[in-house]
Amino acid sequence: MRRLLATTTALVLTAGFGGMAAAQDGYTIGISNTVQGNGWREEMVCAMKAQALVSGQVDSLNIAHRNTDAAGQLEDIRNLVEAGVDAIVLNPANSEALNSAIEDAIAAGIVVVAVDQAVGAEGAYILSNNQEQYAYLGAKWLFEELGGSGDVVYMRGAAGAGADDDRNTGFQRALSEFPDINIVQETFTGWQQDQGKQQILDYLATGLPVDGVWTSGIDNVIVDAFIESDVPLVPIVGADNAGFVGQLASIDGFTGAAVTNPGSIGGAGMTLALQVLSGDAPEDKLVLVDPSLWANNDPEGMAQIEAAQNPDLDPEWPVSVMIPGWTDYTMEDIIACKGPGE
Amino acid sequence: MTRLLGRHGWVMGLTALLVLAFVFTKVIQPGFGASGLDSLARATMPFAFATAAMAVVVIAGGIDLSVASMMAVAGVTAAVLMDGAGTGFSVLALLLVLGVGLLMGAINGALIVFTRVPDIVVTLAMLFVWEGVALLILNAPGGAIAPWLRELGRGPFLVEWLPRSFVLMVVCIAIVWMPLRRSRLGLSIYAIGSDELAAYRSGVSIGRTRIAAYAICGLFCAMGGVSISMATGIGEPIPGPYLMASVAAAVLGGVMLGGGRGALLGPIIAVIILRLVRMDMTLMSVDPNIATIVEGLIMVAVVMLGGLLAMRAAR
Repeated sequence: MRRLLATTTALVLTAGFGGMAAAQDGYTIGISNTVQGNGWREEMVCAMKAQALVSGQVDSLNIAHRNTDAAGQLEDIRNLVEAGVDAIVLNPANSEALNSAIEDAIAAGIVVVAVDQAVGAEGAYILSNNQEQYAYLGAKWLFEELGGSGDVVYMRGAAGAGADDDRNTGFQRALSEFPDINIVQETFTGWQQDQGKQQILDYLATGLPVDGVWTSGIDNVIVDAFIESDVPLVPIVGADNAGFVGQLASIDGFTGAAVTNPGSIGGAGMTLALQVLSGDAPEDKLVLVDPSLWANNDPEGMAQIEAAQNPDLDPEWPVSVMIPGWTDYTMEDIIACKGPGE
Repeated sequence: MTRLLGRHGWVMGLTALLVLAFVFTKVIQPGFGASGLDSLARATMPFAFATAAMAVVVIAGGIDLSVASMMAVAGVTAAVLMDGAGTGFSVLALLLVLGVGLLMGAINGALIVFTRVPDIVVTLAMLFVWEGVALLILNAPGGAIAPWLRELGRGPFLVEWLPRSFVLMVVCIAIVWMPLRRSRLGLSIYAIGSDELAAYRSGVSIGRTRIAAYAICGLFCAMGGVSISMATGIGEPIPGPYLMASVAAAVLGGVMLGGGRGALLGPIIAVIILRLVRMDMTLMSVDPNIATIVEGLIMVAVVMLGGLLAMRAAR
């Protein structure tokens, strides 16, 4: 028994040493994110780290970044409150579920900034991509491209996820404007590359008609699937992920559009948190970042696509790695993905 | 004393580990107090119910891979039924959800008993079935939990450092487990887990006991699902990370995966230890990827050490 205790103590203590922080004078910022291993979210976290580093105002980051549900995020937020951070920048798993912990944090004098999606808690700052508009823009472009009629495969994100729900609202709004568009297949990719690719391969194998594909950001593998199945490419809508934007620029005879959904919103959230901490809070607590659409059959869109080409970026990362006016880091900084003290 | 140690050695070891973990937390975070305990208790609740659910079927010699999905079904059912309902109806809804939990578990158990397909296969299939059911009930996070139920898990109980959510969790599990353990059914559950043939020869109805064990598992899952919704205030159709966590905590808590041995006290302490480790990782701002590795290593190390000690004791 004594040995069990001695060994476990040693184990726990060794595990602990790495994190013992030195004396601090700058800010400590907490980060909470509930999806790990997804290109968009990884870019978001790297943008937060890079912005914290270049700001020079942050001593250390306290990052709770794991795959979990809203209840797990409540735990993470409360733990960050316990850790005594000055601000928390989070990507909420759900807009309503986290309010109790966020209110606790605000009551403890902590600045809370929600990025990507809104939260209902009063007193929290929100810096969000407009998800409904994201889906509406892309769907409308696709339906116009098809001349207002045709068979469309609708490849959504994760069933039951808040962002997917918002996007569906936007998609349905566009659909209601084009009554002759026929949704031949609706799938949930779960925002997983392999899953989305298998779904479109299965559909293409049936030989059923398809005139266009709308994707919720699982995009480059869909183009790959058309090419691998030897099926003529149809117009495809995706996000501004590096791989897909590369395809829009380089594949002959392929028409498509990328809708921007910058993961770098995380860096912007960090900037907002630091502004509020230095007493420079914006008047409005809600800042919406509207998406734009880059179509490769439009000269202006093509210019954006060409300007965004960067072979150093991971194909799953969105190419809009910086948000003018909100982020100060360089491309090298965000790719390095290092925060203060790393 | 030695007999006591022998019988409860594992639980006592875990308790010592828990105390150590608390001391360690206090050292790295001198401000750790009532609010920290409250956060910990609230985070522990859904994991504790999931672990209790898993432990019961594992003791009966089975396994249930659908615990997280059943929790999702219970959570969304509660959130849908209670949305805009009065206090009276919400109490009824709560009872109904617990009934749904029992029913889901019984269906799992019945499928295993009557089809004779291995439990791991049946419950893996049911993982998807219940996941789909949850999405059918609520296709996106929504609904609302009755305000009185939300308040039930908030704040301290009697004294400042005793979180109400902790008391609630202990009471809910004890109400089911204490009478069960001493009953004929409880003994039968241990019996079929330890040696099915011997149990059969002693007159235990294997099939009925197994279905009952899975039904109790479903009941605990329902409590777990409601506890998630109590924390978030809404229903979430996507299952959370409770499956692997529940297996891990059950094993760490001294429940043998072959069945027949263990109880619920050990696993509950193990759940608290695992949550506390997670909290310490956040307090020390350990790299999140490393934090997961450390959690896994601690688990392996403790179970290995326990095995070694048990072997030495046997010699």
